[in-house]
Amino acid sequence: MQAVAPECARQRSVEVIENVRIARDTYRMRLLAPEIARAIRPGQFLMIRPTRPGTTDPFFGRPFALYDTILGASGKPEAVDLVYLVIGRGTASLADRMAGDRLEVWGPLGNGFGPPPEDGGPVTFVAGGIGQTPFLALGRWWLGSRGYGDPPEHWSGARAGSAELLYGVRTAELAAGVEDFREAGIAVTLATDDGSAGHHGFVTEVLEDRLRKGRRPAKLVGCGPPAMLGALARIAEREGIPCDVSLENQMACGFGACFSCVVPMRQADGSVDLRRVCVEGPIVPAAEVAWPIGDGH
Amino acid sequence: MVAMRVRLGRLELENPVLVASGTFGYVREMAGFVPLARLGGVIPKTVTAKPRAGNPTPRTVETASGLLNAIGLDNDGIEHFRAHHLPYLRSVGTKVIANIAGEDEDQFVRMAADLGEEPGLAAVELNLSCPNVSHGLDLGVDPAAVGRVVSRCRQECPHPIIAKLTPNVTSVATVAKAAHEAGADAVSLINTVVGLVVDWRRRRPILANDIGGLSGPAIKPIALRMVWQVHRAVPGLPIIGIGGICSSDDAMEFLVAGASAIQVGTATFADPTLAGRMVDELPAKLAEAGVSDVNAFIGTLRSNKD
Repeated sequence: MQAVAPECARQRSVEVIENVRIARDTYRMRLLAPEIARAIRPGQFLMIRPTRPGTTDPFFGRPFALYDTILGASGKPEAVDLVYLVIGRGTASLADRMAGDRLEVWGPLGNGFGPPPEDGGPVTFVAGGIGQTPFLALGRWWLGSRGYGDPPEHWSGARAGSAELLYGVRTAELAAGVEDFREAGIAVTLATDDGSAGHHGFVTEVLEDRLRKGRRPAKLVGCGPPAMLGALARIAEREGIPCDVSLENQMACGFGACFSCVVPMRQADGSVDLRRVCVEGPIVPAAEVAWPIGDGH
Repeated sequence: MVAMRVRLGRLELENPVLVASGTFGYVREMAGFVPLARLGGVIPKTVTAKPRAGNPTPRTVETASGLLNAIGLDNDGIEHFRAHHLPYLRSVGTKVIANIAGEDEDQFVRMAADLGEEPGLAAVELNLSCPNVSHGLDLGVDPAAVGRVVSRCRQECPHPIIAKLTPNVTSVATVAKAAHEAGADAVSLINTVVGLVVDWRRRRPILANDIGGLSGPAIKPIALRMVWQVHRAVPGLPIIGIGGICSSDDAMEFLVAGASAIQVGTATFADPTLAGRMVDELPAKLAEAGVSDVNAFIGTLRSNKD
């Protein structure tokens, strides 16, 4: 229970530079936040408070994964991009913000991703819903095309040989940022629940098909609904492929104080204990999660 | 310069700004956001006699200007608290008030006695009011039981004793009076208000625990009313005001209503630097009120009927 938010986490009032719709109900928000942009790493997240000044509703911040950092003229990170799906009062309020508006944010939060697989092999990202968002920065970092930090540090060890994104959404219109991934050299394969694009069915079925054809990644990373992550974890275990997952959960604070966002995790002694996603995650080895997780479990 | 020092029974604070148990983690979580040494004091998350896993999720749900929670006193127990958290807490440079919850009177008394052996604690706050555990609730609504627990804890523990009371009673003043007569140095008012959030489409409550405790700005008027009521009904009993405090103006409202100190609670989740800023802002607000000592402002709210 010693886990805390990163020492560099700060609360700041920051300016919205851009807030653009990139898919159905999906927006990319760019925030001018040099201090946070220089500290944040792929897989970490920010809390953004949608509360307008002088009001108390909605009251709490919402967690958003880093989509990417934006370099300023100096070559240093100046801004952060976040991609979000409008699903409730908080995200609906964020969708109304315009360039020049200010928002209270705090971060960077969470542990972030570790290094790419040592053998320089291919990596496969498996995303469901709005779970694609952590994988743009991660792909760029692991492929060696972008650095993070101040000054931006490229990964100096063996890089991922290739990266692909298997991306499941309910319907094609919800697929957001596909061009961003392709421009970053990350191949994208879609799966849709309604068959409107790509594979008609679960994204994990696309992965199973890859594996049957002998296309075996050196590393799997997942982010999405708990049921999808559980299915991914079973596949990874069966195949003996190292797999990390980026977890999400209901969070009031993001820095370990509220104890809302706990998930059951296997401990070294074989017991299961509830751990806070915000400070002990959000990135955890899939094998350490006591599946199934999510509401009702 | 406005004098900010306040006294609550045997407990003396450099300023009236405290942070509420359960909203500030074990304090180390907040070190990057709040200059801890500048606070009047800190109150870490409730500890229980034995480790508790807490409730399944969802444990919290946002409501209109509030939060309904049923965390369920997730903690690693008092032995772990003494070995692991207290050494850190002694180093933060401000008053540390431990918060304990027992499942029955004897457990409260044993835990208070254990903490009585610990140096570097400014006080012990008794969580007589957590709505999310099966036993403590009944105890906090019974004035006689509250009186017995406070009295026995005072005998067994040399630290000042604060009774944190539940608002889920018909007459909070009756319970406060019992705590006062039993020797409580102060009472903390209020803990969360029991509530329910429903998903009618699923025909289920949202929280895994069904019901939970409501906190945040939504409950501030209830908290202010109770602070004022107790202040008027139980003269001489120091009060720590809690409930939806989100700004130094909110803190001023509690002080004028009769609170000698305040706790920033749920607002920390949404505004982690708030408590630190409040310490900076309060002197100017008190100067605006025309006082040079916070004690000249506390409890000076006048009824429109007087």
